[in-house]
Amino acid sequence: MNKNAKKRTVMRRVLVLILSLVIILPLIPYAVALVDGPGAVPNPGAQLWNEVRQRDGASAGVSQVQAVDGSVFINPYGERWRQFRMQQLVPIGGWLLVGVTAFIALFRLIRGKVPLEGGRSGKLVPRFSVNQRVVHWFAGTIFVIEAVTGLVLLYGRFVLIPLLGPEGFSATAAASKEIHNLFGPIFPLAVVLMILLFLRGNSPNMVDVKWFAKAGGLLKGMPASSGYYNGGQKSWFWMVVVFGIAISGSGLVLNFPVFGQGREIMEWAHVVHGVVAILFITASLGHIYIGTIGMEGAIEAMTQGYVDANWAKEHHDLWFAEMEKAGMVGVAPNALEEVKRHDDIDFKGFGSPGAKQKEG
Amino acid sequence: MFLEFVEGPLWYIALTIFVVGVVLRLLDVFRSGVRTDLAPPRREGLGGALRTLVTRSWTAPGFTRGAAFHLVAGYMFHLGLFVLLFFAAPHVLFIEERLLGFGWTPVPYWAFILAANFAFAGLILVWLRRVMHPVMRRISTLDDHLAVILTFIAMFTGCMALFQHHDSLRAIHMLTVEVLMIYFPFSRLMHAFTFAISRSYTGAAMARKGINA
Amino acid sequence: MPEVVTEHNVERGKEVLKSQIDAKIASYFSSCVHCGLCAEACLFYTETGDPRYTPIYKVEPMRRVWQQENTFWGKLGKGLGILKEVTEQDFAEWQEMLYESCTLCGRCSMVCPVGNDIAYMIRKSREAFAAAGYTPEGLQGATRRALEIGSPMGITLHTLEAQIKHVEKATGWEMPMDQQGADYMVLFSSMEVVNFPEYIEAIARIFHQAGRTWTISSKAFEATNSGIQIGDSGIARELVSRVVNAAEELGVKYVISPECGHAFMAIRWDAPNLIGRKPNFDVVHILEVLDQFRAEGRLKVDSTTDERLTFHDPCQIVRRGGVVEPQRNLMHMVATNFVEMPDAGVMNWCCGGGGGVSAQEETEELRLKVFERKKRQLNAVKPDRLVTACANCRIILEEGLEHNEMDLEVIGLTELLAEHLAEGDTAAK
Repeated sequence: MNKNAKKRTVMRRVLVLILSLVIILPLIPYAVALVDGPGAVPNPGAQLWNEVRQRDGASAGVSQVQAVDGSVFINPYGERWRQFRMQQLVPIGGWLLVGVTAFIALFRLIRGKVPLEGGRSGKLVPRFSVNQRVVHWFAGTIFVIEAVTGLVLLYGRFVLIPLLGPEGFSATAAASKEIHNLFGPIFPLAVVLMILLFLRGNSPNMVDVKWFAKAGGLLKGMPASSGYYNGGQKSWFWMVVVFGIAISGSGLVLNFPVFGQGREIMEWAHVVHGVVAILFITASLGHIYIGTIGMEGAIEAMTQGYVDANWAKEHHDLWFAEMEKAGMVGVAPNALEEVKRHDDIDFKGFGSPGAKQKEG
Repeated sequence: MFLEFVEGPLWYIALTIFVVGVVLRLLDVFRSGVRTDLAPPRREGLGGALRTLVTRSWTAPGFTRGAAFHLVAGYMFHLGLFVLLFFAAPHVLFIEERLLGFGWTPVPYWAFILAANFAFAGLILVWLRRVMHPVMRRISTLDDHLAVILTFIAMFTGCMALFQHHDSLRAIHMLTVEVLMIYFPFSRLMHAFTFAISRSYTGAAMARKGINA
Repeated sequence: MPEVVTEHNVERGKEVLKSQIDAKIASYFSSCVHCGLCAEACLFYTETGDPRYTPIYKVEPMRRVWQQENTFWGKLGKGLGILKEVTEQDFAEWQEMLYESCTLCGRCSMVCPVGNDIAYMIRKSREAFAAAGYTPEGLQGATRRALEIGSPMGITLHTLEAQIKHVEKATGWEMPMDQQGADYMVLFSSMEVVNFPEYIEAIARIFHQAGRTWTISSKAFEATNSGIQIGDSGIARELVSRVVNAAEELGVKYVISPECGHAFMAIRWDAPNLIGRKPNFDVVHILEVLDQFRAEGRLKVDSTTDERLTFHDPCQIVRRGGVVEPQRNLMHMVATNFVEMPDAGVMNWCCGGGGGVSAQEETEELRLKVFERKKRQLNAVKPDRLVTACANCRIILEEGLEHNEMDLEVIGLTELLAEHLAEGDTAAK
């Protein structure tokens, strides 16, 4: 064997060894890790990624950014919220809205417009004062603006993009967002005014239970007794109060993120805002239908301030009896304002807290 | 194209009609003249004119209850609109670039939102009272409603364009504002200028009689 | 001599409406935003709730003429025939609103947020209605009597002389008639001469004590002026000229307006503008004279009353005339228990009979309805006696109190002072 051949063999073996080591050595930590379990040998890469994704729960890092959640790199709850919005709120809410609309349409088909059985008597009964009507339509206006712009933001991508195209929807959505946020803070004011002017007469009692038992007298040939407000109106009023406060509170949290509320609070506010909005809008459909095209003689109460005596008799018999006793049937159109102006006339049951007030 | 038109030619047309129209309307008021009061006055009218100009900004003694709605809703609208008109950041910029050549500090964003809330709430409230209250219903004319509706639309489109990312929205706002400006001199909106004349005339006449009106 | 127009002439009315629009009216109509606040200040609205009684609505015919003459849309609308011109029916309808449901009290002018003087606009509107012959019969009659007989109630110098005789008998002094160069010339309202002659005696006693010379003119003793109530400047000028001429003939320094609201307005504020110059004398209200005497120590009382007294401010003297403090100084002089009604002073509520309203029989029902306001004001303070300084207010107040079965005596302030005048201690020379 010559010297050269030996040398070459050694070289080859060294090379193989080196190559083996190059391949095997990096595996040692893994082998050790495999034997000793995870964590024994720190892996900076894996650790960083785990931190970033916050797989072990929310944690805050250190950052020069001085802001709420400024040191949170990725919010782990965002995904949870996104899934709720896309998989529950949007589809369930959508079906609810469509369903209730369909139900109202069905009711219309079966029952038709609820008529004034006795026709118009021509005699007027004052029902809502100027201030009550102003506040009602004030709340109504803000509600409709908020509902429409809110629905654009929630369902626009499904309903409007096919209609307007992406560019058109972009402008519509931007405009809706600004309008929604600008008119939003007015709604709490409207809710407070609604409570102040409509609270009187809205406490529930036994008459309401019977009223509900008789399906609110909406079915033919099954009239239900009622005072100034019936069970349905009272329910709607308390919905306005509860939903109104919830939607205002959550809306303000979302609209003014300057009081230290972080993303988690905002997400919860968003959940409340979305759920309550869907319920509120759904309920309003019934109110709007029965108050306008659904019942003959109802809308005048909120536009003119008075109703026909037969309407009062048919839908609010107990209140009508009180009004008759008080001599408030068949009076001039502005009678309610008159009563308010003169403290010497007063009677129960006309639902206006201003009734007893006197100019000074 | 549309944006160029509403920001260019139409803007100048509207501005001209607004300025010339207002001046002509004011001249028309003064043209009618007032007869000199020959009765020896208890005191001079000028002080009274200035006084009433200021004091009619709130209610007469004992009248606050009767005027509470107007006072609250009226101020909400007028103060809100004033802030929006002259202190909203985009407006200040517009005034600086297109009208005066100089600007001033706009209000912060939160103050803008607050002003918009007040302006919208006030405007909706006063208009609702107009269509609900028997007195206002009887004395209101088409002009009153048009003025409210045009003002509302101009404010509404302004808010829609707030984000400033969409030229189309800004163009709509410009257009509605220009319609409002063209309508202004022919309408009830003139009270924004003539209220000062009315208050002064009455204040002066009453001061001559010795009454603080 | 001018005459009362009784024949309906709408064209003339529209012409005058147009001519009455001065810079003030043009500014007022331009400024009005139809807020309706003036209604809350007007007792005809607050007591009836009828929106037709909104003050600014009462000048609707004038507004329409202004709109059609002064504004772009108005001219266009008129040209195209869309806007209706003011018609006979309008004149007939608004006659009621301008004359029966407005006392020219001017409360609305105090509250208008844009500062419109609505009472001024109504006064100007009446000018056109008077020219068009759309005026209430009651006012026409009163004005005709004022022109022809010299008094809206038809009383003559003879009646006054009879009353003066009674006063002379009671006081033992001779009443100064037509005395050249006296300090003061005293005027009366017919109402005082007929219903409250105590006023004449009170004047005699007070001037006697004050030691100032005074006189009554046999040519012009009537202070009231139906011309400014019906809204006819020509007639108002004629009536006021009688007073001015008589006073200048006698060469008096001052002419005293009696306890009557619109008379003070006519002589003090309207006369110079009606005759086109400042007269050679000053016009003062009797309350101002008395207050001046009080300040100078010429008016002395020797007793006071602890009755609960309150003062009804006549609109034309207080709010529209500028006499606010004198009556309060004088009340405090004799009443230890003087209480103010709510809204007293320049914001006081009208009795409901001013501005010619009381001259129309057909307004009685409305007048009594709007008296509710005064009733409430009075109930707020429950006085023993009610003092005022206007014979017309006094009649209306008595009427309203009687109707409401309220047992309350109404008295003129001058008489009240005379009741307490210090006897014997006179400065008379």
